[in-house]
Amino acid sequence: MSALVNSTLFRRVSKIPPSYYLLVALLVILFAARPQMLNANVLGVFVRQVVPLGILVLGQLLVMRVKSIDLSGGGVILLINYCISSGIFPGASLGFYIVLALAIGLAVGLFNGVMVAKRRVSAVIVTLALSIVLVGFVQYLSSGKPPGDVPKIFAELFNTRFIGLPSPVLFWIALTALMALLLSQTVFGRFVAAVGESMPAAHFSGVPVERTVILAHTLAGIMTAIAALVQTASIAVGSVRVGLDLPILSVAATILGGVVFGRGEGGVWGPFFGVLCFAFLFVVMTMFGVGDAGKLVAQGLIILFAAIFYGLRAGK
Amino acid sequence: MISSSSTFGKLLTGRGSRQGLWFLPFLIALAMALWLAATTSQFGQWSNLANLVAQGMPLLITAVGQMFVVLVGGLDLSIGSVVSFTTAVLALDLPVTVTIPGVFLLAGLIGATNGYCVTRLNVHPIVATLSMQYVVLGITRVLRPVSGGSVPDSVRWLVEGSLFGLPLPVFWGIVTLLVAWKLLYGSRYGLHLSAIGGGVASGSNDAARNFGIPANRNILLAYVICSLFAALAGVFLAGRIVSGDPNVGLLMELDAITAVAIGGTQLSGGVGSLHGTVIGVAVLALLSNGMNLLNITPFVQTAIKGVLLMAVVALQSRKKIGL
Repeated sequence: MSALVNSTLFRRVSKIPPSYYLLVALLVILFAARPQMLNANVLGVFVRQVVPLGILVLGQLLVMRVKSIDLSGGGVILLINYCISSGIFPGASLGFYIVLALAIGLAVGLFNGVMVAKRRVSAVIVTLALSIVLVGFVQYLSSGKPPGDVPKIFAELFNTRFIGLPSPVLFWIALTALMALLLSQTVFGRFVAAVGESMPAAHFSGVPVERTVILAHTLAGIMTAIAALVQTASIAVGSVRVGLDLPILSVAATILGGVVFGRGEGGVWGPFFGVLCFAFLFVVMTMFGVGDAGKLVAQGLIILFAAIFYGLRAGK
Repeated sequence: MISSSSTFGKLLTGRGSRQGLWFLPFLIALAMALWLAATTSQFGQWSNLANLVAQGMPLLITAVGQMFVVLVGGLDLSIGSVVSFTTAVLALDLPVTVTIPGVFLLAGLIGATNGYCVTRLNVHPIVATLSMQYVVLGITRVLRPVSGGSVPDSVRWLVEGSLFGLPLPVFWGIVTLLVAWKLLYGSRYGLHLSAIGGGVASGSNDAARNFGIPANRNILLAYVICSLFAALAGVFLAGRIVSGDPNVGLLMELDAITAVAIGGTQLSGGVGSLHGTVIGVAVLALLSNGMNLLNITPFVQTAIKGVLLMAVVALQSRKKIGL
C-alpha cells in the first residue's frame, strides 16, 4: 500500500480534490443514460436546489480550514425562516429582512467564534448546543406548527433568470468567487492557511490566531444567514424542520471537495464542485430507481472514500 | 469567586483534575432531584422512579460507550444508527439465539471499521463515523423501511420483568457500569486510554506510543467498545418499543455526547470519568422527567438542554482551540 501511496502518479492524481473526479463521472453517466437532460435549463433547476447548501459550505470550509467546525446552521436557518414567515414583523420590507438575517448570522457567528477561540470550548459542543437552543426556541415560539407564508417577493426573486441561468445559481457562483479571492489575495486568507497548518507555529510567527478563528466563525455565521435567506425563498413557506440536516451535509460536501480539518488543498472550488456532486448524485440515483436507503449508503461511502483518499496522502 | 487554588475550588472547577468537572453537574442533578421531590408529589413514587430508570437507560448505555471514544480524543456519530440497526435486526423473523450474537458481531465490525479508518487510514473521527452513520442507517432502512415487526418475548421480558422486587432495567444499568468500571479503572486498558487521550489533548499524538503503549490498537478497541454498548442499548430499546424502528436511534449520538460533555469529560481527550458520565445522564434524564411532571412543552426542554450543555462546557478551561 505504501508503495502505491508514494508513487509519483498517485501523488499527482491525489492533488485534485475527489469532487472533480466524481462530478466528471456523474456527468458521463448522465450523458450516457439521458443525453437530453444535459442542457442548461434542466441542469439549472437541479443546481438551484442546492444553492443554500452551497452557500453554507462557503462558511463551513472557512471554519474547517482553521480546524474548527460549525454545526449551528440548522438552528440559525430555522430562526431566520421563522422571523420571515411568522409575520412577527408585519409590513416589513425585503431590506429589513435581509438586514435582520445578516444581524442574526453575525451575532451567532461572533458568539461561536468568541466561545471557540477565547473561551476555548470545543467547537462541536458549542455550535451544537447553540443549534439545540435555537431549535428549541423556535419550536416553542411556533408550538411545533409551521408558522405561515413567506412574503411573495422572496419567491419572485428566487425564480428570476439572468442570461439564461437561474439567478440564485449566479449569486452562488459570485459568492464563491468572492470567497476564493478572500482566501487567495488577502492577509486574512494567509492567516487562515497559517492557522490551519499549525496553531503554535502561526502564533509564534505573529499571526493573531484567536482573531483569525473569531473572524472565520463570524464570516461563517453571515454565510449561514445568506443560506437561510435563499433556503426560505426556495421553499416559500415557513417550516419548523427546514434545513436541520444542512450543517452535516455541508461538512460532507466540504470534505468531498478536498478541505479537511486544517488542510485546504481543495481551495474554494473543490467544495463548490462537492456540492454540485451531491446535486447530480441524487439526480443520477433517482434516475436508476435507487431508493432513499441506497442514497444514504452511497453518500456515506463517497464521503468515507474521499476522506481515506486524503488521509492516505497525508500519511501519519 | 472561589479561588481555584483551594481544594473546594478545584473540585468545583475541575481544573487540573483528570476526572474533569463532575462536581458541579452533580450538584445540579442533586438540586433538580430535590426540587422535583419537593414540588411534585409523583416524583418520589416507585412507578415514576422505575420509569425514570427505564427511560434513561438507553442514554446511559450509549453515553458510557461514547465516553471511551471521547477519552481518546475521538467522537462516534454512528451509534444512533447502530441502535436503530439493532432494533431492526431483532425484529426480523429469526430466533433470538441467532439475532443477538449476530447483532453484537456486526456492531463490533462497525466499530472496528470506524477504528481502522481513524487509526490506520488517518480519517478524522467525525468524518469516519459520520459516513458510517449514513451507511448503517441506509442498511437499516433496507431491512425495515418503516417501524414494525415484533421482538421476541424473551427480549421483552428482559426489559419489562423484575427480579428480587427490582425492575430489570436497574440490572442493565448495574451490568453496564460494572463492565465499564472494570475496563476503565480495573484494567491496564483504562490507564492506556488516559495516556493516549492525554497525549492527544496536549497536542502530541505520539506521546503514548513513545511510552510503549500500542495506541492504534487501543483506540480501535475503544470504537469497538462504543459500538458494542450502542448495540446493547439497541437490544434494550427493542425490548421497550417491542418492534423494529429505523428512526428510534435518530440523534441519539448527540444526546450521548451531550451527556458525556455535561459530565465533565473533555472532547479533546484524556480528561473524564465514569461517574461524571452517570451524572451527565442523570441531569438529562431528570430534566426530561421533571419537565413531563411539570407539564412543560418538550420544546422548552430542548432549549434548556442546550443552555445547560453550553454553560457546563464553557466553565471548563482547556488549551486547545477548535474541535
